[in-house]
Amino acid sequence: MADPTVVPTAPVQPPLIEGRGLTRVYPMGDSEVAALRGVDFRIELGENVAIIGPSGSGKSTLLHILGLLDRQTSGPYLFAGVDTDTLDDDRLALLRNRAIGFIFQSFNLVSGESALENVASPLVYAGVKRKERVERAEEALARVGLADRAHHDPSQLSGGQRQRVAIARALVTRPAVILADEPTGNLDSRSSADVFTLLQQLQAEGLTLVTITHDQRIADRAARILRVEDGLLVEEGAAAPTYLDGGHPLDPTAAPGYPRPGAAVGPDVVVPPVSGLAALGLGEQDAT
Amino acid sequence: MSYLEALRLALRRLRTNLLRTALTTLGVIIGVASLVALTGVGEGTQAAITNQIAGLGTNLLSVNAGASTIGGVRGAAGSASTLTVADATAIGQLDGVQAVAPEMSVSNVVVVNGRSNTTTSMTGTTPAEATVRNYQVQTGSFLTDLDVEKGLRVAVLGPTTVTSLNTTPAAIIGQTITLNGIPFTVIGVTQPKGGSGFVNPDDTVFAPITAVQSRFTGAGALRTVGVSLTDPTQLAYVESEITSLLRFRHQLATSASDDFSMISQDQLLTVASTTTATIRNFLVGIAAIALVVGGIGIANTMLVSVRERVREIGTRKAIGARRRDITRQFLVEAVIVTLGGAVVGVLIGIAITGPVGATVGVPASPTLYGITLAFFSALIVGVLAGWWPARQASRLDPVEALRYE
Repeated sequence: MADPTVVPTAPVQPPLIEGRGLTRVYPMGDSEVAALRGVDFRIELGENVAIIGPSGSGKSTLLHILGLLDRQTSGPYLFAGVDTDTLDDDRLALLRNRAIGFIFQSFNLVSGESALENVASPLVYAGVKRKERVERAEEALARVGLADRAHHDPSQLSGGQRQRVAIARALVTRPAVILADEPTGNLDSRSSADVFTLLQQLQAEGLTLVTITHDQRIADRAARILRVEDGLLVEEGAAAPTYLDGGHPLDPTAAPGYPRPGAAVGPDVVVPPVSGLAALGLGEQDAT
Repeated sequence: MSYLEALRLALRRLRTNLLRTALTTLGVIIGVASLVALTGVGEGTQAAITNQIAGLGTNLLSVNAGASTIGGVRGAAGSASTLTVADATAIGQLDGVQAVAPEMSVSNVVVVNGRSNTTTSMTGTTPAEATVRNYQVQTGSFLTDLDVEKGLRVAVLGPTTVTSLNTTPAAIIGQTITLNGIPFTVIGVTQPKGGSGFVNPDDTVFAPITAVQSRFTGAGALRTVGVSLTDPTQLAYVESEITSLLRFRHQLATSASDDFSMISQDQLLTVASTTTATIRNFLVGIAAIALVVGGIGIANTMLVSVRERVREIGTRKAIGARRRDITRQFLVEAVIVTLGGAVVGVLIGIAITGPVGATVGVPASPTLYGITLAFFSALIVGVLAGWWPARQASRLDPVEALRYE
């Protein structure tokens, strides 16, 4: 014990995602174009956040930076308390693999590979053995209601089914956060409703969900809306919060949560603030 | 991603683009097969020529009459009538000389046996010819000292000449044939040496030099003296001995150049093997070009493949693929294509080496050297061809790649 006089207080869990004054500037010939012009935000574990804004406002750029696919020009971006500027490309790939799940507007499934193989592909990069990969991919496919389509090629599936396969692929690594870029943008209204319901269920089970959307229903369902306009976060307010299970998204104990190795946090669990990556089960793991 | 996973991924990809895979592989197959076959043919050519030269005689040193110069025009080597039987006899007395065969050539001799006839060249010589030029007799006997001493009209025929006369070695022994109208009795037929080309050692007639001298040319000049050495390592010494001897006998002034020339079988072999090595390298070079073209085909296919799969690459990066995972995926794909092509190419190369050799008249068989060379060159070509596209793929910016249409 270092100092017995100090009463141990509840440790502070760093926010999952935190950006301070983020900018992103693209060189355009001789001049420069600023897609982001100083953006501050925090997203906690378990939150449901919608990012809205007109085309060209910089919201895709923001999502790419959040997803560690792009690097900001300035301003620190902290993922689970770790400054991402200190991480090399391999480390970022590892984080994308273990802590982040992506859902794209155009699904981005690999044709020529079955639904099961598509879902299992992140686990290949995670170095998971084949048998376990298949088990986990089947489990994820069952979760999105496509257990019977496991051996179909994406070309044999409907748009809604493809997006559900993509959701299963995002889920299979049990990530801390799912980043969805217009997940219903290419779907008809019925499929879009399916995908929307599925995402809401997953979020209600404790998954952190950040969605770029034009879909008003998704935005309405989000606990918070970040409006990006002209490279700035011009509005940050809570929408009418409706939760499937009534829990508050900011309270990680409210929902049992989608299983995340090392991410279980509660009043009794001591998670030192400096080792946010360790909390996600990534602290000392080497790139494999 | 482990290599095993990269292999699975690559095989799946190659299966889905079967036609393209087959065509790309074909380039490598052709390159490797021609490398194997042409190496075999090259080696076969070299072996055939070496054997042919070895068949000409053992430890052989040929002394040739020099060129005559008439009115400032220099004739061909052997055109001067400088070498004599006496020169040959004198050479035979030198140290290190085992046997000496003076050779007097008569070309375009018409040979008639009953109703059959043929035209060939005749050599007037001595029994030593058999030793010096490495001739064996299959039927009857070679010339004897007595034949030469008495100048008997007897002849030993080459097997090709016998065939040209539409008869067999056994049937022609004892027969009287005419050579340019002069009757000779056949006493022997030589073993085939398997030669070909403009100097066929199997298409010839040997007769006692004395008989040829008196009945045909009569001048007594020799074209060549064949000398066989007791010890091949003494070549230089014997050559200098012969030079001094002949210069003395021909009474050449110190300033005059030799009126004869010498070439040893070793020199001949060296010249021939240099030539055949050039031929072989040329063949291997052509095959290597084929292989390089195959490699360019692979590089091209891989670049197209990368271009087609930009979004897939972006997606894979988004789900956690590192640069090296992407590089490995594409590199393994290229290496599989080359390896597959190399294996099939080696098999086809082994199968066609013989037939290809046969069409150019050379006994050829695949060599381990050729197979190893082809296989590993293909592997290197594959890695080099795959490396650049794989690197291109791994360096794609994920954001750009995901946006790519």
